[in-house]
Amino acid sequence: MSKMWTIAYFTFKEIFKSKVLINVFFVGLGLMLVTYVATEFTYGVPEKVALDFGIGMLSLSSLAISLFLGVTLLSKEIDSRTVYMVISRPVPRYAFIIGKIFGLLGVQLVNVILLGGMTILVVNILGGNLSPLIFWCVGFIFLESILLLLVVLLVSLFANNILTTLFSIIILILGHAVKETQNINFVKRNPFFEYLLEFYHYFLPAFYKLNIKDFLIYKNNLNSDYLFLNLSYGLLYSLFLGILIILIFNRKNLD
Amino acid sequence: MIELKNVTKVFKSDLLTQPFIALDDVSFNIPEASMVGFLGANGAGKTTSLKIIMDFIRPTSGIVNFEPSLGSTKEEVFQNIGFLPERPYFYPSLSGEDFLLFMGKLSGMNRSQILSEVGEWAPRFKIDHALKREIKTYSKGMLQRIGFLATIIHHPKLVILDEPLSGLDPIGRKELKDVIIEVHKQGKTIFFSSHIVPDVEEICDRVIFLKDGKLIYNGAVGELISNSNDSEYLLTVKIADGVNLVTPFKQLTLLPDNLRRYIVDAALKEAFIRDVIDKKGDIISLEMKKPSLEEIFYKTKSMGDLS
Ligand SMILES: Nc1ncnc2c1ncn2[C@@H]1O[C@H](COP(=O)(O)OP(=O)(O)OP(=O)(O)O)[C@@H](O)[C@H]1O
Ligand SMILES: [Mg+2]
Repeated sequence: MSKMWTIAYFTFKEIFKSKVLINVFFVGLGLMLVTYVATEFTYGVPEKVALDFGIGMLSLSSLAISLFLGVTLLSKEIDSRTVYMVISRPVPRYAFIIGKIFGLLGVQLVNVILLGGMTILVVNILGGNLSPLIFWCVGFIFLESILLLLVVLLVSLFANNILTTLFSIIILILGHAVKETQNINFVKRNPFFEYLLEFYHYFLPAFYKLNIKDFLIYKNNLNSDYLFLNLSYGLLYSLFLGILIILIFNRKNLD
Repeated sequence: MIELKNVTKVFKSDLLTQPFIALDDVSFNIPEASMVGFLGANGAGKTTSLKIIMDFIRPTSGIVNFEPSLGSTKEEVFQNIGFLPERPYFYPSLSGEDFLLFMGKLSGMNRSQILSEVGEWAPRFKIDHALKREIKTYSKGMLQRIGFLATIIHHPKLVILDEPLSGLDPIGRKELKDVIIEVHKQGKTIFFSSHIVPDVEEICDRVIFLKDGKLIYNGAVGELISNSNDSEYLLTVKIADGVNLVTPFKQLTLLPDNLRRYIVDAALKEAFIRDVIDKKGDIISLEMKKPSLEEIFYKTKSMGDLS
């Protein structure tokens, strides 16, 4: 257990110090300033623009962290043979992989707290009234980035970096698009597509379930059943992927 | 300490290429408190063997046994092993000290134990001035030395090093060899791969010799040299111009002042000397030329086996 935290801690430190996060932070800060200036010249609802923009940036940067840092999280360890240094110690492989995941999620968490916090602050300053839904929204963004990270890691156990990136982006886009697809009349009337969608829901992550951005910005309410159902969906799916990754990594030849 | 029994490793990279036999029925053991050199040309299968020992990859067949003195569970065994991979490259944005803390903690040490080990070894390895710096600023020699320090920081009983001396200049090699010898003298078993034969000849008491995935020698260094019964003699002879010797020889070098240097097979030594005396020649010097490990190494590379 303590070794897992050691791995997580130093993974976090390594990523943090390689300044990736600092860049994200400044991009976020800069763009928030731009929004702030822009809102000064917008009629009506500057706080909505700020909210929309802040949440959008947060969501985008979280997904980018999961995707781009996730792709190399394991492959870099293997290419540079640092994984050999670590698992030649009395450290079980599952501790290695869980430690790596938690280390990266630590970076992710800092990003979410920073950008989420800034968004809430700016909206507050602009006098917008915040519903508790914003915390759900930020939490769901974090959960979505966990889910994406696990998808990326799973794929990266089988494919090279480029294929992993491509494949993960495709799964991410599909996971958002299935929602719209369901509502297309042509699909509704065609049983083949219906089966296809059902199949998709059984096996592939339905990322759209974790996207409540529109509700937050335009409706500002959402019933709690929906929230808890999708929360459980995200958590269970992540758990399932996590276990799968551990099982596969345990048996993988590291050469 | 460790024993490999009939280990075979076949790589099947994809459907189009032929399966590749990287290790073919390899068996050997590493005796306790020995310093064993693991020799073989590029691609002989050294790294593959070490990866199998460390359980990074699984053998196609065969097993690896660890002596009970190393421990009975995988965790105990690995607690007692220090391993340094080839061409090590560490987390570039961590400082040297962080990296050593990381490795030490993974071996169950606490911060103050680690720092006291580092305080003792780092000056010897000449990395004490750079410990606070990020590892990406380290030179190749420094990387190799900090890697070695990380490998021994938890006092393992068995130290396994993959090409620890490659990429170092002669002085760097000498320094690292000296610490390896010192660690060995503390009673640790050392097993390291190399293709630099003189290094192995110099510091090891045993050698294991792989060629194309097959084990061709496993035993004491001295035995390997004396067993190869093709020893030769080096004779310097003063003899008049134009005189021809009839006894076959392997090589002739003409020197000034009517001097000639011959290399003669051990079996023909006496016949050759008689021949020289008959021809009124003068023997200036005679010495036995024992082949070095290196010569044996290159001979076996071009020939087949080493009986
Ligand atoms: N994953 C792999 N897939 C296919 N072939 C491999 C794989 N790993 C190693 N090999 C092959 O196995 C052989 C032995 O490789 P290995 O790395 O063990 O050699 P080595 O003795 O360590 O050589 P060097 O001195 O160059 O480090 C090589 O021919 C190599 O190409
Ligand atoms: Mg090698």
